[in-house]
Amino acid sequence: MCELYSKQDTLALRRKHIGPSCKVLYAADPIKIVRAQRQYMFDEKGERYLDCINNVAHVGHCHPEVVKAALKQMEVLNTNSRFLHDNIVEYAKRLAATLPEQLSVCYFTNSGSEANDLALRLARQFRGHPDVVTLEHAYHGHLSSLIEISPYKFRKGKDVKKEFVHVAPAPDIYRGKYRENHADPASAYADEVKKIIEEAQNRGRKIAAFIAESMQSCGGQIIPPAGYFQKVAEYVRGVGGVVIADEVQVGFGRVGKHFWSFQMHGKDFVPDIVTMGKPMGNGHPMACVVTTKEIAEAFSSSGMEYFNTYGGNPVSSAVGLAVLDVIENEDLQGNATRVGTYLTELLNRQKAKHTLIGDVRGVGLFVGIDLVKDRQKRTPATAEAQHVIYKMKENRVLLSADGPHRNVLKIKPPMCFTEEDAKFMVDQLDGVLTVLEEAIGAQTESVVPENTPCRTKGGPQERFGLETLGEEVKQKSLCS
Amino acid sequence: MLGEGDSKTEPKAPGGRRAGGRGPERLGRRAGQRRRGEHDAAPRADFRGRRVPSARQAGAGPGRSARFSAPWRPTGAERPRRWPCGGGCSVGHCHPLVVQAAHEQNQVLNTNSRYLHDNIVDYAQRLSETLPEKLCVFYFLNSGSEANDLALRLARQYTGHWDVVVLDHAYHGHLSSLIDISPYKFRGLDGQKEWVHVAPLPDTYRGPYREDHPNPAVAYASEVKRVVSSVQEKGRKIAAFFAESLPSVGGQIIPPAGYFPEVAEHVRRAGGVFVADEIQVGFGRVGKHFWAFQLQGEDFVPDIVTMGKSIGNGHPVACVATTQAVARAFEATGVEYFNTFGGSPVSCAVGLAVLDVLEKEQLQAHAACVGSFLMELLGQQKAKHPIIGDIRGVGLFVGVDLIKDKATRTPATEEADYLVSRLKENYILLSTDGPGRNVLKFKPPMCFSLDNAQHVVAKLDAILTDMEEKMRSCETLRLQPEAALLSPPLGECALLLVLGDPELGSLPSAVAPSFQTFCL
Repeated sequence: MCELYSKQDTLALRRKHIGPSCKVLYAADPIKIVRAQRQYMFDEKGERYLDCINNVAHVGHCHPEVVKAALKQMEVLNTNSRFLHDNIVEYAKRLAATLPEQLSVCYFTNSGSEANDLALRLARQFRGHPDVVTLEHAYHGHLSSLIEISPYKFRKGKDVKKEFVHVAPAPDIYRGKYRENHADPASAYADEVKKIIEEAQNRGRKIAAFIAESMQSCGGQIIPPAGYFQKVAEYVRGVGGVVIADEVQVGFGRVGKHFWSFQMHGKDFVPDIVTMGKPMGNGHPMACVVTTKEIAEAFSSSGMEYFNTYGGNPVSSAVGLAVLDVIENEDLQGNATRVGTYLTELLNRQKAKHTLIGDVRGVGLFVGIDLVKDRQKRTPATAEAQHVIYKMKENRVLLSADGPHRNVLKIKPPMCFTEEDAKFMVDQLDGVLTVLEEAIGAQTESVVPENTPCRTKGGPQERFGLETLGEEVKQKSLCS
Repeated sequence: MLGEGDSKTEPKAPGGRRAGGRGPERLGRRAGQRRRGEHDAAPRADFRGRRVPSARQAGAGPGRSARFSAPWRPTGAERPRRWPCGGGCSVGHCHPLVVQAAHEQNQVLNTNSRYLHDNIVDYAQRLSETLPEKLCVFYFLNSGSEANDLALRLARQYTGHWDVVVLDHAYHGHLSSLIDISPYKFRGLDGQKEWVHVAPLPDTYRGPYREDHPNPAVAYASEVKRVVSSVQEKGRKIAAFFAESLPSVGGQIIPPAGYFPEVAEHVRRAGGVFVADEIQVGFGRVGKHFWAFQLQGEDFVPDIVTMGKSIGNGHPVACVATTQAVARAFEATGVEYFNTFGGSPVSCAVGLAVLDVLEKEQLQAHAACVGSFLMELLGQQKAKHPIIGDIRGVGLFVGVDLIKDKATRTPATEEADYLVSRLKENYILLSTDGPGRNVLKFKPPMCFSLDNAQHVVAKLDAILTDMEEKMRSCETLRLQPEAALLSPPLGECALLLVLGDPELGSLPSAVAPSFQTFCL
């Protein structure tokens, strides 16, 4: 593969010209990727990596059908949505067909962040309420308005929480307030939302929306318990608010059984606004907000035009249509169910074997492995998680770690991920964990007397060079 | 017919060298490494091992040679029936070099910027060569709106201040944060936030200080100074002054030279930064320079520049350029900035291809040339048609301000709307803007030709003549250029008969102000 610059020069130029807030993966030893196909990425030396990270390359990196659709349209027309064109309406129609009937009006944007910002504007315009209920550890995007409703971001930046933002506990049944042993965690967590709404109302505040990722990714691959969203919706709508389901990470069939993750909660749960992005265009910049006629009409009655220069352009729409076609033609949802089930099964066997694995959770090809130092206390194994991802990279598997403690290994690969890939990934993980646990176990035996917490100098961190990874951990985690 | 001054000289390479003439510091390439633009025309295998032809082999339209050097122009068969005079397709719709660059990269890799890749750094380097030296740090995004939102975040983080000074009638984007700083949007809707302060638009035709003022640049800048002082008196602190380098939505305004440097002085003294929004006007459109802010003098350097729209010839790309100091302050928050699609290999390949085309086809010089010609022709029309109150522009960024009355300069809103619909019938796409929706906006693709200019103006002339003969709906449509001001008004009745539905009690919808805002 022809490079313009050596890897060293690429890195040097990056340091010179790219904003330093823009981080690279594996900062201690970044990788240069020059090519990708399906679920594999190739570095400048031609080494192949199994990509378990990039849900954006939803139907597989550089899928030829999608590439062809883009080319065909680029040669003919790429302009804005103020002119009539078939692609945008065809695409809107196809998208609406995947959703419950009342979600029928589409606004096309370029990124999940733009989509979520518009969702907020729609919600606020609807009844003129300003306040938003969001979840702890939520991440909805990088725009000013979204940092405000993303505790994942504003807590790290030590920004003050805005008075119009109300944070409810994330419905995390492994690490949260109500766990798997609770009789009804869905209701318990929903009641937390109810409490917050009541408190806000008592202070004279008015709720515009409850917004949540259908499954939190940056928050640690959290799958809300069944029934949670229905109850929350009841409370929110009861005070004139709307429910926004952020499907930016998890839409388009990733969960296997359904096209949209929120659909896991049952036919009786229909959000008022759904946002989508990331996988939508297989890497092409595009996103969308879908809502009800009522909300759309309220928005347009404000008199303010909504114009997005690139949103809904013929090329983006053609790309979106091609992605929908591939999902269907290649039965990628079916694949996500089959491979996801198999992967989870393999991982559960690993959990039985490795004490570092506290929890395995997932649905379809959206899986998280929660690493812990102590199964009883569920202490996040943050440094160990960083160590694991670097070791997995050496074994040619790309994984990332997230969650508020950066200890959850996130698996959300391209949807063409196979059972062989799953087996390969788990085998590598098994090897890495075995070595790591042996070392930790051995170190604990040799250095530390029984019952003393393992915190002495010369502990496992230093043995594995994990102390340098401590710095990695301090860096803000890589929510992709 | 060529514009003044430019015809015989070698056009200046777009992207001009930085002030001080220092050459770019390029990291060396290894022997055998491909230079940008040497597209590999050999077919590649797709992921099933099937051969996928390159764009050229796929028969992707005429003139699709990977290495052609002649400027791409539509041939007879493809010559569009409509001549577009607005849009983000800066180097021409569906330019084959840009299409090819996107296609080739799409076949190889399109992923996020958390992996090292040559395209993003190459593109950043190329962009840095077009800018003053201190603007050397880049953030890549997908839209001008995203760019302006990030600029706001950067400014606030750097200064530690919150408030923003903007120009009246400004438009910076559709995001929540940007509606707040866009009087064009918030007036009459959400209203002005307490941390937003509005200074008069430096419009020397319609503003408080006009063409007869001895020094409108200083006068308008003093208004900003006054705004800044009053903000400080309230105990508030300015984070930024935000301005489109050439306000487009505000009516194709060309701020007087010297205005920005003066404003920057006032703003920086108050601890704020200067943000130049080049989203509508960057990339050589103004002809004389690559960036419109450069019209304000070589010594004037904004702290943050945002770019979008024409940057990718229609592909969703945008960018923020800033100084190391601002970038470091942002990094110090400890919060990562990650944009899923921003800076992807495909977006950067597209951006690079656009820069290549601008250079190879000398579109910047072309814009200067055709722009001057267009202004000249329009100047002739102004002498002929009193409804044309003002012609202003630079390069291929031109505005024609239509007025009902010479003395009052009342915007001829309905007439402008009617004119645009008549032009459409003649297969010419134009839009109007300005607070009075009366300014015809010209900002066509940069391959707009002298013929195109001639054609548009000829049609404009014919329609205006027709309006003067038949419509006569306002003072200026009834005047002859040297005729006396007074002329017996024909009244509403005649207007209704000519324009549309006589049953309507008011102006028919075809000419009623549609208030559509074509912020292309």
